[in-house]
Amino acid sequence: MKELVLAVALTTGSSLCAMAADQVTKAPPAAPYEQVSKLVKLPDFLPGMGQLFVDPTTLPAGPFLAYDHDGKLVSTIYMLPTKDLNPDKRFDDLASPGGNVDHVDVYYNAGHPGVEEPHVHVVLWHVAAPDEARVAK
Amino acid sequence: MTLTRREIMGGGGGLAAALSLSSLAVWGGEIVEIKMQGNEDGSHVWFDPIGILIKPGQTIRWINLNPGNSHTTTAYNPANFERPLRMPKAAKSWDSDYLLPNESFSVTFTEQGVYDYFCIPHEHAGMVGRIIVGEPEMHGWTELVGTNGDLPEVALKAFPMVEDILTKGIVRRT
Repeated sequence: MKELVLAVALTTGSSLCAMAADQVTKAPPAAPYEQVSKLVKLPDFLPGMGQLFVDPTTLPAGPFLAYDHDGKLVSTIYMLPTKDLNPDKRFDDLASPGGNVDHVDVYYNAGHPGVEEPHVHVVLWHVAAPDEARVAK
Repeated sequence: MTLTRREIMGGGGGLAAALSLSSLAVWGGEIVEIKMQGNEDGSHVWFDPIGILIKPGQTIRWINLNPGNSHTTTAYNPANFERPLRMPKAAKSWDSDYLLPNESFSVTFTEQGVYDYFCIPHEHAGMVGRIIVGEPEMHGWTELVGTNGDLPEVALKAFPMVEDILTKGIVRRT
């Protein structure tokens, strides 16, 4: 019986994840996501990341959803201020609203409107590494 | 792309003293350009040059050449987010607000002295710059640079020395 409940739970969970991913795979994602370039003064398409959307209530960490020139989701990005990476703060249960993650990049960023302080980009790529080129320029 | 150019007149005193031209390159033209730059992943951002010597009446034009970021040129002045005064008291403050790629902003400087400025989203990454308006001679201006206030350490370390700017005319990021 326990196995059945677990199976149902897993199936329901994965279905919900799939539904959630379906809602964000094409730009623009549904509310509460908003286009970053309409929230702050930033270029609409950021080389290396793409066109970004975020739920403003989740700033500065995100998640930010990044799309290529064809409006296809390529990554989910978290932006974690370096000052918050300390013994007294945690970032738990960060979601991957875009679904499956192919690989992850982590790198330092000096800051930009919206996250005006040095921070770390944690990029959950939903595409294979060669396809990162879709948002290179 | 349409260029946006916002110009204000910096400096309140209007020192019109005739100054002998020096051999320093920046004294030759009326408009001096400072580039706002960054690398591809946004891990490094900077003004180029970071330090410059100009003569009274010259104009500085900042232009954002960073395709993936916005930048500001913002004077250290209480008028700007109550930042400490690090420029001549008599001179007018400035703040470009965010400049998108290829946008520019100009200020004409008339008051002699040392002017420190920063980029709002990148002050904590050390994106600052220093302008000296006047003659390429020592005036004890090191002392005129404001108190350190609550500037981030990384910003304080990034300022080129007044003596270097006076000696070289242009100081680039090392």
